[in-house]
Amino acid sequence: MSKELKKTHLYGFHKQTAKMTEFAGFEMPIWYKGIIPEHMAVRKGVGMFDITHMGRAVIAGAKSEAFLNYVTTNDVAALTPLSAQYSNMCNEQGGIKDDFVLSRLEAEKFLIVYNATNRTKDYEWLVQNAKPFNVKVEDVSDNIAMFAIQGPHAQVTLQKIADLDLNKVERFKCGWTKLAGLEGFVSRTGYTGEDGFEVFVWNTPLANPIGAVKVWEAILEAGEEFGIEPCGLGARDTLRLEAGMCLYGNDIDETINPLEAGLGFVVKLKKDNFIGKEALTMQKTEGIRRKRVGLTMLDKGIPRPHYEVWKDNEKIGHVTSGTFSPILERGIAMAYVSVEHAAEGNKVAVKVRDKLTEAQIVKFPFYDPTKYGHARQK
Amino acid sequence: MRILDFEIPDKLYYSKEHEWVKIEGKEAVVGITDYAQKQLHEIVYVEVQKVGVNIEQFQTMGTVESVKSVSDIFSPVSGNITKVNEELAESPELLNQDPYGKGWLAKINLTDFNEDLKKLMTAQQYADFIKGMEE
Repeated sequence: MSKELKKTHLYGFHKQTAKMTEFAGFEMPIWYKGIIPEHMAVRKGVGMFDITHMGRAVIAGAKSEAFLNYVTTNDVAALTPLSAQYSNMCNEQGGIKDDFVLSRLEAEKFLIVYNATNRTKDYEWLVQNAKPFNVKVEDVSDNIAMFAIQGPHAQVTLQKIADLDLNKVERFKCGWTKLAGLEGFVSRTGYTGEDGFEVFVWNTPLANPIGAVKVWEAILEAGEEFGIEPCGLGARDTLRLEAGMCLYGNDIDETINPLEAGLGFVVKLKKDNFIGKEALTMQKTEGIRRKRVGLTMLDKGIPRPHYEVWKDNEKIGHVTSGTFSPILERGIAMAYVSVEHAAEGNKVAVKVRDKLTEAQIVKFPFYDPTKYGHARQK
Repeated sequence: MRILDFEIPDKLYYSKEHEWVKIEGKEAVVGITDYAQKQLHEIVYVEVQKVGVNIEQFQTMGTVESVKSVSDIFSPVSGNITKVNEELAESPELLNQDPYGKGWLAKINLTDFNEDLKKLMTAQQYADFIKGMEE
């Protein structure tokens, strides 16, 4: 590899135990045991991901709420301290600059966690737009290690090393806690569809990884009785896809707006001026022409990005993400199709290497939510 | 022989695209190597050309899909496909479990193996080729 790739605190562990890949300028694990066993550990027990490569910034100042309401699409005023929300930042045309989770640490202090691929772009966009509000935007990415502990046994696992009572941390809430004795922060969020937590090991610069390694190892030990697996980016992708969650760069980007992406629930058109409001209001009035949908393959074959979607001799859209679903044991995909063909249950065809292969439009998540995911019946 | 983490049976011939050839009289049995299956990992779907198809050396004879990716399989020899491994449709994992045995892909009636051989490697040559790539 020609350019120098960034490494996380856990690089030594990954390098010894995983197959590595380049992602967003980082050398990251793609799998340890394999995508399927890691995927199943998260759906049935517990798995842990190193997500330190993601971007993190702290936004502080008297007008931080006003600033974030201007630069993001969701209602920041509704966010109480130690709560989190999924949200988008848009450009003036309403195209998605990024999707992320925003947490309110204190009345006038927020933590934003955005995609690794957009680290520089997002930070610069925040800094540039923050000027009139006189708020401070601090990039804390390289001083915090971040892990996701996900799955039905995530809480019992994490509780063993956290002093905070995790029963009191509901979904999309957060809290400060010791993690194996170190200063940490947890939020009950994730990118798998399962219950689980994202943990932040605070004040752990990359140059001094010992604290982060200690927390990682403590969690692996705590989860041993539940069959915990360290999970790589491969399973992270199959899990988020099965859950119907977007991957920036594949399913959403600056040419797609949140209404088309089915993310209208994070666009609050009633709030005061925010970047993209005018364009999105117009789009809402006019109606969208294409829509993100889920596709389940009825025939053999695995849909992949850019494959064409057809209906009755007419091309109606294209696949943006696709994989083999370990739970359904068949191909699944996200695709953008014209709205007149986007109804659930509609049968379409995906062109898999010149062969039209039957698929059906389905709702998200792809799995049965009474059996898998955070809302499963216990 | 075994090189690094990879099994390379002595009596087979190998292509640079990581297919193997086993000669059985006028027929060749072909498949993908241990190295190939380890790189692909978790193969979930295999598709091979139909019986009766004539194929040239290094033409696409099928595809393998892992969870992450799709790869073409190139025929290491020229000839006519006489048999394909039907078991792979239901059990693609055989390619991972037994790449030189139960994971065979097809049998091909050879056109001119001496011609094919010019562009294939022996086990020793393939082992050196793998070593070169892994370094």
